[in-house]
Amino acid sequence: MSRGWRKTVPVRYQLLNNNTVEKSIEYANITRDLLPMRFSRWGKVWTAILLAFCAAGAFAWILQLKNGLVVTAMGDYVSWGIYISNFVFFVAISLVGSLITAVLRLANVHWSTPLTRIAEIIAVSAIVFASLIIVVDMGRPERFLNLLLHGRMQSPIIWDVIVISTYFILSLLLLYFPLLPDLKILIRAKETTGPRLNKLYRFLGSFWKGTPEQVRLSEKAINIMCVTIIPVAFCIHTVTSWLFATTYRPGWDSTNFGAYFISGAFLVGAGAVVVAMFVFRKAYHLEKYITELHFDKMGKVLVMLALLYLYFNINEYLVPAFKMRKPEAAHLEDLFAGEYAPMFWFAIFTGMLVPIVILLFKKGRRPLPMFIAGLMVVVGAWFKRYLIVTPTLLHPFLPMQGVAEKFHHYFPSWQEWAITMGSLAGTLLIITFFARIFPIIPIHETIIEQHEKAV
Amino acid sequence: MKRLYNYLPVCVCVLALLTIGELTAAQETTKQDSTRNDVLVTVGYHNVNNQWSYLSVHAKAKLNGKFQSVKGAKFHVYLDKDSAGTLVGDLVTDDKGDAVTTLKPSLKDQWKSGTTHTFIALYDGDAHYNASKTEAVVKEARLKVDTAEGRNIVVSVEELKDGAWTPVKAVEIKVAVKRLQSDMPVSDKESFTTDSTGKITAEFKRDGLPGGDKGLLTLIAKVEDNDTYGNLQVEKTVPWGAVLKPVSNFDERSLWAARFKTPVWLLLMEYFIFFSVWSVLIYLVFQIARIKKAGMPG
Repeated sequence: MSRGWRKTVPVRYQLLNNNTVEKSIEYANITRDLLPMRFSRWGKVWTAILLAFCAAGAFAWILQLKNGLVVTAMGDYVSWGIYISNFVFFVAISLVGSLITAVLRLANVHWSTPLTRIAEIIAVSAIVFASLIIVVDMGRPERFLNLLLHGRMQSPIIWDVIVISTYFILSLLLLYFPLLPDLKILIRAKETTGPRLNKLYRFLGSFWKGTPEQVRLSEKAINIMCVTIIPVAFCIHTVTSWLFATTYRPGWDSTNFGAYFISGAFLVGAGAVVVAMFVFRKAYHLEKYITELHFDKMGKVLVMLALLYLYFNINEYLVPAFKMRKPEAAHLEDLFAGEYAPMFWFAIFTGMLVPIVILLFKKGRRPLPMFIAGLMVVVGAWFKRYLIVTPTLLHPFLPMQGVAEKFHHYFPSWQEWAITMGSLAGTLLIITFFARIFPIIPIHETIIEQHEKAV
Repeated sequence: MKRLYNYLPVCVCVLALLTIGELTAAQETTKQDSTRNDVLVTVGYHNVNNQWSYLSVHAKAKLNGKFQSVKGAKFHVYLDKDSAGTLVGDLVTDDKGDAVTTLKPSLKDQWKSGTTHTFIALYDGDAHYNASKTEAVVKEARLKVDTAEGRNIVVSVEELKDGAWTPVKAVEIKVAVKRLQSDMPVSDKESFTTDSTGKITAEFKRDGLPGGDKGLLTLIAKVEDNDTYGNLQVEKTVPWGAVLKPVSNFDERSLWAARFKTPVWLLLMEYFIFFSVWSVLIYLVFQIARIKKAGMPG
């Protein structure tokens, strides 16, 4: 049965207004399984750890605000350090919202339903911290407004500011619209969720009655969003790549950068979803909903994306390495065999080669190996972003002469590490709190799917 | 006394060691003297446009079989005789072993006293190099450059002889056009030699050479490292260059211009994309209001 929005309206209308379905045991079981749960003891420990990291990051940021960017290890040459690497990482990981939700939805792929909300919340939380980390990197956050008031429309930095804001709003809407039917279920489950959360649910979605008109409008809006978010997501990654590619420097002066960034973003986003799938499945006992089939399918997606990213990496490094122009040679030698070689090969092997080998085999696409592969992809991707930003800045076209020895190297200060770790913890904290408040697997859509299967 | 005898061999040994030490030190000093290198000094006289004169000193030494510039060598340079009144200047060589000084106005009378002059460069020496004295003899001469019909350049060399400027033959002259990085010969011929009238004629064959907004080129005639006259140079500006009107796009709309000078095509593209996407977002927010309305009873 086709699930294009025009055809699904009558089915959903029937479901939402069919008391027999709503009163069925299946409905009760799914609702019970998927309703947000209170934190377990481990959940509390996990949240406390994340809060501690966030507090350390906030403290380091206060120190940075008080003393200026001098507390960082950045200088005249490495003016974009770990903050921008982290920003690129966040931007990359946020692409997953459009992949899992929009691309798979428009392609009429059914198996991705339990993963859509995980992907959407990863996208929202990542884009929030991508914006915040840019403000941190600016050093003077009160001047952020100047970027809009006095920015040059020719600058990719302005394009990035605009496209990130747009993507954030769009991701938020894409998270909100499919949540509306679930809010109705959550409001009904007041006894389980508690009065305070119930107030929040009522504020967000008490108007949702599931009328045919509401379903029609919602489905239409979701489809429009799915169509819109794909070019916007491509824009955000392409523009972020242009921040580098429009600068004439070794390692950045590449026409390959847009596609290279997008493929990398798809990969790390999919890796993050795999990790989140595994964790939520374990923590909330969702084995019935996130099955081995989902891991197998995501494994195939992941290996395809890893191969694609590997292809762009070969393009990115082989072509300049073949020509070995002098400034490029210094940069590439530093990556392949110099100061950054251990990190470079770690990123290549961990972020691509080893996951490809694991995921090519069916046994490798089981939950635990998938989780390990996903984690490797995410960790490798973070280091890959660091390698895109820093080594290039240490290899300017004009030789670095007459400068202090410390300018020839870059290693982030503890404040930079604390802020970076704090921002990563903040992203996880948003996801954690979201999963505490809202169902991490869409309840309503799951009921529909179960019903459709039964029919 | 017996005890003293016991210590005698020790005392003799100490004395012997001290003597050996002293002898070795003395030998080292002698050795050091004998290993000090000679500095090879070149003194050059330069005259520009028959007006401004300066002296150059270059110091080098042969170290490990190779000539190397001597940095930080101190020279006292005198005109004609080694006395306080004729001191041209105290010079210290740079990283390349070069040092330069102008001829002071106070030496004018000394300069006018004859037509042949000797520059004396005294080097005091140091721990690595021996002291030296170098002399350079120059005869006072001048270069004149003029243009003739058909873009020809006439250069003459004259020396001061018995109070009068006399043409000099068989002097090698280079004629070039002054460019930013170096001088470009006016034709394929590298250098010219003066005839019995002390003149050379060079044809200008560099048509179309950019000459700024007025088409002006600076011709330059040079006598280089001449044993008698030193280095002479004279310049003349001629309107033989191609006129170049610089095109400034400083205030035009471009990708690198100021914020109010964004190219129109870029602005149109950006605004089109921005308003297209944001109109969709506004529409979606409006849809929330419609959904809300659709859920109201009645």
